Amino acid sequence: MIGDLLLALTLAPLVALIGCLVVHRRRFCEALNLVASAVAFACALPIPFLLDGQAQLFWDNYVILDRASAWVILCTSIVYFLASIYAIGYMRLLDEEERLYRFYALFAGFGFTTLVGPLMNSVGIYWIAIELTTLVSTFLVAFERVAESMEAAWKYIMIVSAGISLALLGTILFYWSGTFVLGPSYQMTWGVLSAAAPRMNPTLIVLAFLLVLVGYGTKVGLAPMHSWLPDAHSESPAPVSAMLSGALLNTAMIGIVRFLGITRAADLGQLPQLVLVAFGVLSLLIGALFIVRQQGIKRLMAYSSIEHMGVVALGFGFGGALGVAGALYHMLNHSLNKSLMFFGAGNMMRAYGTKQILDIAHVGRFFPTQGALWLAGAIAITGAPPFGLFLSEFTIMRAGLKPSFSWAVYVMAVLLIVIFVGFMNHFRCMYYGVGAAETPPARGHVSAWCTAPMWLALAPLLVLGLWWPGGIWSYLTSIAQSLPGVP
Amino acid sequence: MLIQHLGPIASSLFSLLAIASLLLSFVMLGSRWLKNYLYAFATESWVIAALSATIGYYGNYPELYLIAILTLLFRGLLLPYLIWRIIRRLEVDREIHEILQPSSSLVIGALFVMFALAVSYRVATAYHLELTVAVLALTVMLSMKLIGFLMLAVRHEAISQILGLLVLENGIFLGSQILVPGMPLLIELVILFDLLIIVACFGVLVGYLLTHVGTTSTLDLKRLVG
Amino acid sequence: MHESPPATHQQNACSFVRSASPAVAAGRTAPMSARDVLLQIGQVLTVLLLAPLIQGIIVQFEERVQRAQGPGIFQPYRDLWKLFHKQIVVPQTASWLFWAAPVVAFTCMLTVPILIPVLTDFPLPLSDMGDILGGGLILTLGSFLIVLAGLDTSSAYGGIGSSRAVMVAILAEPTLILVFVGITLLAKAMLPFVVNHLLVSNWAAYWSPAHLFLVAAFFILLLVETDRMPIHSSTHIEVYMIEEGRILEYSGPLLALLKWASAMKQFILYTIFCNVLILPWGLSVKGTALGALGAAAGLVIKFTLVACLVVVVETSQSRLRFYRYQEPLAASFLLAVLSIIGTQLS
Repeated sequence: MIGDLLLALTLAPLVALIGCLVVHRRRFCEALNLVASAVAFACALPIPFLLDGQAQLFWDNYVILDRASAWVILCTSIVYFLASIYAIGYMRLLDEEERLYRFYALFAGFGFTTLVGPLMNSVGIYWIAIELTTLVSTFLVAFERVAESMEAAWKYIMIVSAGISLALLGTILFYWSGTFVLGPSYQMTWGVLSAAAPRMNPTLIVLAFLLVLVGYGTKVGLAPMHSWLPDAHSESPAPVSAMLSGALLNTAMIGIVRFLGITRAADLGQLPQLVLVAFGVLSLLIGALFIVRQQGIKRLMAYSSIEHMGVVALGFGFGGALGVAGALYHMLNHSLNKSLMFFGAGNMMRAYGTKQILDIAHVGRFFPTQGALWLAGAIAITGAPPFGLFLSEFTIMRAGLKPSFSWAVYVMAVLLIVIFVGFMNHFRCMYYGVGAAETPPARGHVSAWCTAPMWLALAPLLVLGLWWPGGIWSYLTSIAQSLPGVP
Repeated sequence: MLIQHLGPIASSLFSLLAIASLLLSFVMLGSRWLKNYLYAFATESWVIAALSATIGYYGNYPELYLIAILTLLFRGLLLPYLIWRIIRRLEVDREIHEILQPSSSLVIGALFVMFALAVSYRVATAYHLELTVAVLALTVMLSMKLIGFLMLAVRHEAISQILGLLVLENGIFLGSQILVPGMPLLIELVILFDLLIIVACFGVLVGYLLTHVGTTSTLDLKRLVG
Repeated sequence: MHESPPATHQQNACSFVRSASPAVAAGRTAPMSARDVLLQIGQVLTVLLLAPLIQGIIVQFEERVQRAQGPGIFQPYRDLWKLFHKQIVVPQTASWLFWAAPVVAFTCMLTVPILIPVLTDFPLPLSDMGDILGGGLILTLGSFLIVLAGLDTSSAYGGIGSSRAVMVAILAEPTLILVFVGITLLAKAMLPFVVNHLLVSNWAAYWSPAHLFLVAAFFILLLVETDRMPIHSSTHIEVYMIEEGRILEYSGPLLALLKWASAMKQFILYTIFCNVLILPWGLSVKGTALGALGAAAGLVIKFTLVACLVVVVETSQSRLRFYRYQEPLAASFLLAVLSIIGTQLS
């Protein structure tokens, strides 16, 4: 049953990719992509409920499905689905009829590679999956053929490829340390590595883990490896930005988490978690500083992504059941919320014809429902109750109140307040039009395709903030306890 | 592990090939002309292919012969040819505005090699390894990585950055051949082809850069700040 | 003043030498025999007499390669003869340094052959007066005094020549020291004789990356220190003068001494290059007269080979601009560092 669901989940985007390349008609591509994403979502939704505690291996041990990967796939498929709905309305505004089939083909490919990433059991093939996501998304970022997009795409592929090659080095070093224990040739899966980890030499594992952390951290967007993120997320079309922020960062994070589990099995003490916490705090700091002085809408959202990935890193760094559960919960909330924010930003960009915050004014008056949704999303993303992000950030802060990490909690709290103030200030400018003229925007109507996903994103966010069912909590804590994977 | 059972001829052959490829990466670092980079990179790929074949011979890993031939063909011939085609489309032959002079890059590269040696020593003594080939392989791998990053940082031409990235990958490939020759064939093959796809993507992107930005020098890519 | 330090120094040199080879030890046990003293004097005389010949060979080859007639390989002897018979003209602004510098430089160049293997491959008495590093320092002393002499006459060209020479020296000296350190680490001894024995007896050491990189690094330094391309500046256009600028004010026998000293410096560097690094064969083992003569003839042949290589490099390279002098020297530095790392890894 689960195997069939997985197969459908991964084959649907692949079919959409091939279909869009074969048939070049716009409506067909839109529909095919939407159907594929709906199928992926429908298959991903029941999987966490069907899993018991054990990880399941498929396809000759190449595919692993444990609770962590099921959770990440759920987040990814939600974003993929919402972004596909939004893309239909958004991409029609771009007046690029002839090239749209390429967009949908690349988009389906992007969905495929991000869905497949967490499923990979072999560490080397996981790396290859991440590399493929980079390649596919570069062309999505460069889709609008303007100079800024080219610059963003170039920075993206350069920095991320260089960073990921560091992760490859770390993987090779992990393999090498395994050869001392397991012999010269073995299948390097997460389970095998964590089983052999206690017998591996700590020096080499520390080196390898740091390399992997920096490498995949580049992909996640942790500071100071984050410099590609604001450019790539702001210059790509809005549905792609939502996928990049909501889906891709999670897929890279799960790799870091799995390696963290291996180092925990190797019993290295506090060092890996301390480094992760340091990266998290730095990301929060950079996010806060740049959010306060930001001038463009989508760059604002991108820095908010950096900040939230810092919070997730803090959660995993703090460790323990609370920390890991909080971080995983934060992944889901962030995926929903960031999609909502990027959808709103994309709508406002197309409506007002500008990316600058100062040129957007009186959103609430010209777009009542849109504006309300977007403002609710803004309040949510800065961590205010009653939305889900508040609960997850609060959980993470509780997890960090151990003696060794309490400094990080205080810093995190201060920075979250700073971010709240900065973010809300920008929205105040946009909603209450400080100094801007009262001209109506160029395009006064936002299509239903662009509004519906915002409703669909906001509703679960509200629900998850008000009601935290025990089932989810026990699911997440079981992930925390079983991180290293199949022994 | 293979390198624990090497005779003196084999280990000196390995060290010669490894150091030759490190030297070639320094040649890349110290040259200004894009064609020189390319030739040094092609030669370096051939040296690494020779290393693969040698390891396959001494370690009885017949699949490494296949990897050696594929490396020679793809990394040694096809990749340089693709990059040569990209260079031919561009109007630039060399780095015109240098951020860091080649001589200073060479000196910094030497410092990187010393740092890599220190790290490798630390790792080797943790394992009580007296094996100099292991230390050499680690040193060469880490220093080629650092040199690749240096090239990415101080070169502003798009081609130089691509070649810097390829030097990074070459370094990892070299290290993995010596340290972990038994790594599953699938992974090695896919990484090899992955490089090909990367360079193809780069070719397309460089075309876009030329068309829409007008230049391939990243010194002009300054529109996105803050 | 103290007797013990030289004695212990000699003893340390002894222990190094004894551990190297029994032939060397056999040569060492007979203290200060007449034959050894004669050989030592012979070494100095070889350097003294053959240095202009090598200079002549290099210049002649170069001219021939460029399809000119060439002045003949004995021309430097004729130049020296002519200069010794000319009048000395001293500028009014010169001081005692003007007179002292050529003499001291000449003497330094006479001292260094005592320390390095020129004719024999065993150390002669007084060979452990200084090791490789000491030899390098004495060479630098000579160059330093000539630089001071260029400044001493307070002429503009002397000033330019001296400042440029010092700049090149600043870039080259650290690399030279590193090369010497590399040589030391290669053989784990500071005497050049031990290195010579190691390279002759051990093929693996000869072809090791450490040795090959040292050869490459030293070759670049050779080109720089002997004022060849791509640093070449012995044209008589003032802007490019480094070597000529320093000695522009000299005339007569003093100029002859300076020219001879620079020829000897070239000879010494070639000797270190060949006998210690790249072609360590052909040295006399027993120390007989026939062996010494054969070693001298071998020297000329070896140097001719190196001279061919230098001429090839010189005619295929163009002169670098001044601010680019750091590039070959940075490459040399890099090769020296790589060779030192190579010695650590084997």
